[in-house]
Amino acid sequence: MRLPQSLLLLAVVGSSARASSDKIPRPRGVSPDFAKFYQDQTTFTCISNPDTRIPFTAVNDNFCDCPDGSDEPGTSACSHLSRNSPLSVAERPGHSEAELKLALPGFYCKNKGHKPSYVPFQRVNDGVCDYELCCDGSDEWARVGARNEEARQKAMTAALKKKKELLDVAAKEEQGIRDEIATVENEVKGAEENVRVLEESLRVVEEQERKVVRTKGTGKVGALAGLAKARVEELRESLLEVRLQRDETKRRLKELEEILSKFKVEYNPNFNDEGVKRAVRSWEDYAAREVAEATEVSDADLDEIAKADGKDAGIDWEHWENQEDGCNDSDLVYKLAAYLPPSLVDFIEEKAISVKSFLEDKGFIAKSSGSSASESKAVTAARDALRAAENSLNDLKNKMNDKRDDLTKDYGRAGIFRALKNTCISKDAGEYTYEHCFLDSTKQIPKKGGGSMSMGKFARIGSTTVEEVDEAGNIITIEKVALEYERGQHCWNGPNRSTKVILECGEENEILKTAEDEKCVYSMLVTTPAVCPGGEEEDAASAKDEL
Amino acid sequence: MASIRPASRWTLLLSLVVLISCIVVPGLTVKHENFKTCSQSGFCTRNRALADDASAKGASWTSPYEVDPTTVKFDNGQLVANLIKTTNNGEKVQLPVTVSFLDSGAARIVVNEERRLNGEIEIRHGSKANKKRYDETEKWVISGGLDVSKSAAINPETETGFTKVLYGPNHQFQAIIRHAPFEVEFQRDGQTHIQLNHQGLLNVEHWRPKAEEGTGEDEGTWWEESFGGNTDSKPRGPESVGLDITFPGYKHVFGIPEHADSLSLRETRGGEGNHNEPYRLYNADVFEYELDSPMTLYGSIPFMQAHRKNSSVGVFWLNAAETWVDIVKKSASSNPLSLSANSKINTQTHWFSESGQLDLFVFLGPTPQDLSKTYGQLTGFTQLPQHFAIAYHQCRWNYVTDEDVKDVDSKFDKYQIPYDTIWLDLEYTDDRKYFTWDPLTFPNPKGMQEKLDESERKLAVLIDPHIKNKDGFYVSEELRSKNLAVLDKDGDMYDGWCWPGSSNWVDCFNPAALPWWKSLHTYDRFQGSMHNLFLWNDMSEPSVFNGPETTMPKDNLHYGNWEHRDVHNINGLTLLHASYEALLERKKGEIRRPFILTRSYYAGAQRFAATWTGDNQATWEHLGISIPMVLTNGIAGYPFIGADVGGFFHNPDKELLSRWYQAGIWYPFFRAHAHIDTRRREPYLISEPHRTIIAQAIRLRYQLLPAWYTAFHESSKTGLPVVRPQYYAFPDDEQGFTIDDQLYLGDTGLLAKPVVTKDTFSTEIYLADDEKYYDYFDFTIYQGAGKRHTVPAPEDKVPLLARAGHIVPRRDRPRRSSALMRWDPYTLLITLNKNGEADGSLYFDDGETFDYEKGAYIHRRFQFRGGVLTSEDLGVKGPKTAEYLKTLADVTVERVIIVDPPKEWKNKKTVTVIEDGAKTGSTVALDYFEQQDGKADYAVVKKPNVGIGKSWRIEF
Repeated sequence: MRLPQSLLLLAVVGSSARASSDKIPRPRGVSPDFAKFYQDQTTFTCISNPDTRIPFTAVNDNFCDCPDGSDEPGTSACSHLSRNSPLSVAERPGHSEAELKLALPGFYCKNKGHKPSYVPFQRVNDGVCDYELCCDGSDEWARVGARNEEARQKAMTAALKKKKELLDVAAKEEQGIRDEIATVENEVKGAEENVRVLEESLRVVEEQERKVVRTKGTGKVGALAGLAKARVEELRESLLEVRLQRDETKRRLKELEEILSKFKVEYNPNFNDEGVKRAVRSWEDYAAREVAEATEVSDADLDEIAKADGKDAGIDWEHWENQEDGCNDSDLVYKLAAYLPPSLVDFIEEKAISVKSFLEDKGFIAKSSGSSASESKAVTAARDALRAAENSLNDLKNKMNDKRDDLTKDYGRAGIFRALKNTCISKDAGEYTYEHCFLDSTKQIPKKGGGSMSMGKFARIGSTTVEEVDEAGNIITIEKVALEYERGQHCWNGPNRSTKVILECGEENEILKTAEDEKCVYSMLVTTPAVCPGGEEEDAASAKDEL
Repeated sequence: MASIRPASRWTLLLSLVVLISCIVVPGLTVKHENFKTCSQSGFCTRNRALADDASAKGASWTSPYEVDPTTVKFDNGQLVANLIKTTNNGEKVQLPVTVSFLDSGAARIVVNEERRLNGEIEIRHGSKANKKRYDETEKWVISGGLDVSKSAAINPETETGFTKVLYGPNHQFQAIIRHAPFEVEFQRDGQTHIQLNHQGLLNVEHWRPKAEEGTGEDEGTWWEESFGGNTDSKPRGPESVGLDITFPGYKHVFGIPEHADSLSLRETRGGEGNHNEPYRLYNADVFEYELDSPMTLYGSIPFMQAHRKNSSVGVFWLNAAETWVDIVKKSASSNPLSLSANSKINTQTHWFSESGQLDLFVFLGPTPQDLSKTYGQLTGFTQLPQHFAIAYHQCRWNYVTDEDVKDVDSKFDKYQIPYDTIWLDLEYTDDRKYFTWDPLTFPNPKGMQEKLDESERKLAVLIDPHIKNKDGFYVSEELRSKNLAVLDKDGDMYDGWCWPGSSNWVDCFNPAALPWWKSLHTYDRFQGSMHNLFLWNDMSEPSVFNGPETTMPKDNLHYGNWEHRDVHNINGLTLLHASYEALLERKKGEIRRPFILTRSYYAGAQRFAATWTGDNQATWEHLGISIPMVLTNGIAGYPFIGADVGGFFHNPDKELLSRWYQAGIWYPFFRAHAHIDTRRREPYLISEPHRTIIAQAIRLRYQLLPAWYTAFHESSKTGLPVVRPQYYAFPDDEQGFTIDDQLYLGDTGLLAKPVVTKDTFSTEIYLADDEKYYDYFDFTIYQGAGKRHTVPAPEDKVPLLARAGHIVPRRDRPRRSSALMRWDPYTLLITLNKNGEADGSLYFDDGETFDYEKGAYIHRRFQFRGGVLTSEDLGVKGPKTAEYLKTLADVTVERVIIVDPPKEWKNKKTVTVIEDGAKTGSTVALDYFEQQDGKADYAVVKKPNVGIGKSWRIEF
């Protein structure tokens, strides 16, 4: 890891000049930290390869002698010593086998009056003044740079202030939840008591009812069976009709899907007709969508139902029409099921509810209350009251559990994202507007109309490593907080859309950039004060400059 | 209730549909039904039928063409005569023929048709089409070299029935014209190398009226022809021209790009490993083209070379109409006319074009270099490109905003990977209207170009010849009001479908289109464009989405009422001509070398633009075919070509992408490109170790740019390819004639063999001669003529050898762009041959202007002889020489590396450097380094600091 070292070096560079190396002028491009290697004015020893010694006149003579490049701190002569270069043995004569290790972080640029920095050696003497990195003596840059530095500091302070506000909000919300839990706990206790009381009164009422004699409904079944038979016939016919219509629709749908899938394969994507591409994309989405849990029955089952009733198939109406015995009428339908082919049971069970309620509505059978069809009003009332109390108790318990769960959920350090939850920000980029609602979802909204597309629902707070370049031009990795959103709209031939929202310290909640890194895998770069260093009291001391 | 239901049939069906679609998604095959096979093309069918008929009749077949001896006249290097065609019903058709013998040693034979020439024909459907056979291809294609030879003369020893003309250097060449039946033989030093109409397949389809009752012949393909729902009205009826060209004793023919096929062309009439279809030349936008195929592609160069040991000859078929070429190789024993003792195979080729005159150039070599030069004198040499154009190009369909472009630009710097040009595909435009910017996505085009200019980088934008047909769009309105568009067969403005939807096409055949097209590109009219913006002319075949074979109807009319049929293959060339003029001087007084990329091309396009192999795919096979395709274009006079690095369609994996970069750095035109539906794949996005592998490959290209630019310069003067196939470098080594997977960079002796197969970590490099070859990176020695040597090729290595006897100029310091290397010092890499000698050269100039024409350049010859390295001036002084040299005063040679130096140098510590004009020499250090394990020793001269523009010597 070269990073911490060079960061450290820079920190030192930034603080103040070192006293020890002031006497002998440093060769061009050497920072105070490396000055000690260039003290001997007769012989220079390559910093990382002390076996190689050259006359001091060879330092900065625009020829690369040291295998670590240390003899050319002020020229580009050693710039080819880089992992990115196609080095042959003759570029580091005698050292080509050794690992390539560069001694210097770059060309040291004093940036008089401002923060010093290192410039990559490949930029030294290329004829371009690198204003962004180094421009000693450029008054123009000096002003801009000074302003930038000032603005940066200002933004940093503002961001930290906002973060503290967020922390406050988060802490208050958390406290609010704790308070609510306490309240709800009390309510639960009350509700439990209520339920107990109502249970008791129901028991009492039921006891009284048992003494009342029930009226008998003889002969009703036979009449009902007659009516039901006619009705079932009617339904059977409708079923046949609907089935024909369904088959026709299915055939047409199949034909249409075949046309579309052929179209998808045969169209020329290179022609890039937006209309065509949109249609293909929609088709892909359509085809990729999981088919809704099928509620269909097999044709065999339908065939079975469609058969005329009789002894061998369906319901033996005769048996029922001659039935004298009374029974709980509303169970009739369930009993019918027992006579159907076993493969139909599931279907019938599903449909039974609707048929039953149909029959109930039409008055063919009495409405059922689950235990007895002939309960007195008093029992029903008591039962209803109990049920209401139970429901309200369950609601309260659920509410309490939700709140408790919420407290244990990860809301980031010091729960700061609690304050941002459901805060939405958006950004226009070309044809789309991208939306990010913290801890909720990410979306892509087309400007030219059409529905918005879910790029993911919140899954967790995670982290990601991001590559950055330090002052010396080395690629370093930095860990950043990332909000992960998953299970967005499904992609044709791919995964469900997902988004990683990478957070950076900034004064505002703002989307900087959205990119599709891989098919349907997005990354969003978002600034927020929430991830700025510092602010959390216990961590204030170790805060570091990350803006 | 929770029981699991079996999936219904419907669900199954849907899954099946989904599954099938998934399988077919990567649609890797070309849509054959969109393009004609020979049997779907009337004139191809007719000419092939003629060949079959002649072949079936064998010796009893006689060509119905003969020279009328009374009309033969020879004057001033030119022979004119009348050729008579006797038709089936005894009619005599007059065909004036001209044979010109040129100063360059080329001969040209032109056959026309008297009736059409005089306009004495009737055309059908009331068409306004020009009655003549198209005779203006020359105007667009030929740029010089037509001076007739004063020394060509009739051979006094000519028997009756023949006319013989001696020509060429020292009358080494002879054309023997037999009058009846007509046949022409071309001899060099008394040996026949090329025969015309030897098989009797000459065919000039004379004009005839459409007879109500028919003629008794098979007229099935004479008149209207339909294909893919389009009907070609063919108002002039059948009018093709065809001819057989035999190369006796030649087993290999090369050239006639563009096809995705091997370098050595295959036979086309079936058989194991052969094609069944003729090679087709009809510029077309072929979607997802297939490999190892004679199918037509985007460009056409009807120039073919025949090669055998010690001899190269060639022909150039100058015709802009649709053309097919059949190739058959026959054992020579059946051919008593063959005079060559050692030859075994005759290659018989059969060429036919749909319309136009028969116009053929014949080249007698004898070396491949002679062919390149003579052909180049006619069609022009490749333009010396701007220096940035031979560096790395970063392209994608599309960089979506100006901020995106700037972001990519800074990322390259962040990762210290050099590039020179970033490209914008069509989406930068406002609603596909060229010369405009999308106001939402590219609100600040100038800011973007200024950012690029900070590191002297360039922007290339797409400008196509189809203009959105829309009221209020100034380009569309001007095109209409100035009548500059291509017309349909009825003379109305042709309207077709392309990127912008309904579009019209600028007709660059119209001379008035030139000033208009130029005006569109000026800074004040192309708002938002700056001096570092260059052009990409795509879709110029032209591609028409709703046209027959994705192009224009053949009965469309161009300026001069020429049918599109007559000019199709040069359509893209005329656009280039206009675009080149447009870029030449975008602001008064600011004259710079244009840079254009074209997809469609024809012979001559090398004068104006670079090209590429079109919309390839991210597969190993496409990577593999790119090498022969690039090599073929090189020997056909159009070296500035490359393939889309990474593959245009689909996503390459990291290994393929890395290998493609390692191959791509050997394309003269080095550009990465990707389809809009692919993942981003800029080199810095690729994870390690592949990012470093790719960066190293790109930097290797940059390191060798001095050698590349020198090779381009040579090509611009001599027509030699920039990268050369094995046979071209070693024309006497028969084993190398079919090798098309390794290549040589110019004259540098650098031999690269890119890895083009998966999981391959060593490769076989073929060495033709007995010199030593050194691994470029570690100096491992390979030696042994006529065999393949195993060279390690780990994933991070480009297999690259440096042949002994060369001096390669390099620049080792990596910079952000090639322009920023301008003031960097050079390294010379020297490999000494068996005699302890080496040669090399360097050309360099400002890389941007035409000042080199006034002497503002350096051109050095480096020689190592007798222990002395010298730099001599190869340049010719001009008015700007001194001024230019002054700017290079501080540019020096920083390092000389000698690979495998004489062992006695071990004790040498210094060498003496003497610059021209200096009174005394100076002494500089030499370090000798020994190596083991088959790796050569090397010595390094440290800082000789001799001026690159100066003459000097270094004594070892």
